[in-house]
Amino acid sequence: MYTLYIDTHSNQIVIILYQNEKVKIKKELNSNYDHSINTIPTIIEVLKEAQIEIEQLNEIVVVNGPGSFTGVRIGVTIAKTLAFTLNIPIKAISSLYIKAVSFPHEKIKIVEREKNGVFVGTFNSKNELIGEYKYLKNSEYDLITSEEEYKENVPIDYEKIIENIHTISSQNPHGVNPLYVKKIEVEK
Amino acid sequence: MKDVYIFAIESSCDETSMAIVKNGKEIESFTVLTQMDTHAKFGGVVPEVASRMHTENITMVFQETIAKSSISMDRIDAIAVTYAPGLLGSLLVGVEFAKTLALVYKKPLIAVNHMIGHIYANRIDNDLKFPLLALVVSGGHTDLIKMNKDYDFQILGSTLDDAIGEAFDKVARILGLQYPGGPNVERLALQGQPTYDLPKPLNDSSYNFSFSGLKSSIINLVHNEQQRHHEIRKSDLACSFQTAAVDQLKRKVKLALKNGEYQELILAGGVSASRYLRHEMEEIAINHHIPLSVPDFKYCTDNAAMIGAAAYPLFLNHQFADFNLNAQSNLPITSK
Repeated sequence: MYTLYIDTHSNQIVIILYQNEKVKIKKELNSNYDHSINTIPTIIEVLKEAQIEIEQLNEIVVVNGPGSFTGVRIGVTIAKTLAFTLNIPIKAISSLYIKAVSFPHEKIKIVEREKNGVFVGTFNSKNELIGEYKYLKNSEYDLITSEEEYKENVPIDYEKIIENIHTISSQNPHGVNPLYVKKIEVEK
Repeated sequence: MKDVYIFAIESSCDETSMAIVKNGKEIESFTVLTQMDTHAKFGGVVPEVASRMHTENITMVFQETIAKSSISMDRIDAIAVTYAPGLLGSLLVGVEFAKTLALVYKKPLIAVNHMIGHIYANRIDNDLKFPLLALVVSGGHTDLIKMNKDYDFQILGSTLDDAIGEAFDKVARILGLQYPGGPNVERLALQGQPTYDLPKPLNDSSYNFSFSGLKSSIINLVHNEQQRHHEIRKSDLACSFQTAAVDQLKRKVKLALKNGEYQELILAGGVSASRYLRHEMEEIAINHHIPLSVPDFKYCTDNAAMIGAAAYPLFLNHQFADFNLNAQSNLPITSK
């Protein structure tokens, strides 16, 4: 059972090949504005190193945001195309969920930083999202951090992600889309 | 020779389009999903919205394009994609999608310049007769190009400021017309006469164009008439503008035909959908005893069929792209 994990939501590209729910190969690449150049070649490297063909993939897991709009679109476009053309299940998880699932906690607020602000999501002890994701400008976030418990720097535990992936339901690839959260000018 | 099937993808602006093209000229399957209605609400294309819609629709457009054809992906010889010029975020969705298809189906990847695609729209169900003179007119381009053979582009002249399509859109806004401006100006012009006196820009011996002066004179004209509380005859003004803009194209095309030997005159780009422009170019071609080639209306606006047509000579030359292909917002037609 091979699962391909694709995360391009930040300035890093993370591609992981899981075999039977264990990390087999993991590539992390700092790729500031070059996700479009580097993502597919990194996937190819991972497959080559594992000596498997792309048809042997059984499942796709993609981090669909929130984060860099363009970065997320690159990962999601590749992921949904892989799932559709290979006819395999696809699961989308958020950039905040991968932090929440990485350490044991009670109800907690997870923070993901971007250029001008932060994305915030509240998770219960079972890593289920409570309410909705929110976007706060840096100035707004600075006002509230003094009062409440927000967790920002969490080392991602990639084994934990796969151990818990059975709790996430798979989707029709056509319906897998980026989670933008932050509103753009024309939406306001 | 064995038939060549190319699967082509175009996403440079607000159309998600895919096609299967046989031997660079026969269209086996063709899908265009336009976002025009969405962008019309904003008065123009919003790049972030366009990118989002491409991502939402890309696998559905693929499914539909495959379903419409008896050609399966196994029989496809190459994947072609528009990589430049255009809206970067929109181009990226097509490029990443194309790379993924090339990876899954183990096909070579071909990177196509969007503007070369517009020129090769004339090769669909047709042949190009070299040497030819191409007038490329769109929202971003106004170029007069000589081609002696496939992928040989000599730019004789270009616009020094606005592209003609851009000028049409700006004049549409001045006249209070909705997006997309070009077709709406043309519709209004049909009901008018060229009664307004407008300048004749670049009435010289170069092959260059200029449209910003024409646009400014319309802004001034509308402003002055409003100050004097005169009514603006919008249809006449639209007609006057269209006549003056196309007149400039006509002058330069005639000049190029007079100074060179050509087997064919071709029109390319989104503005080549203009019936008035087609009609005027038809007359010039007749007077110069050469054929005029104009793409079918459905291949004038952005579409993947033309990308498949433009990819064919590259396929024959084994000019394939790597998996590190990137999109570019600007790229001259002459760059290798």
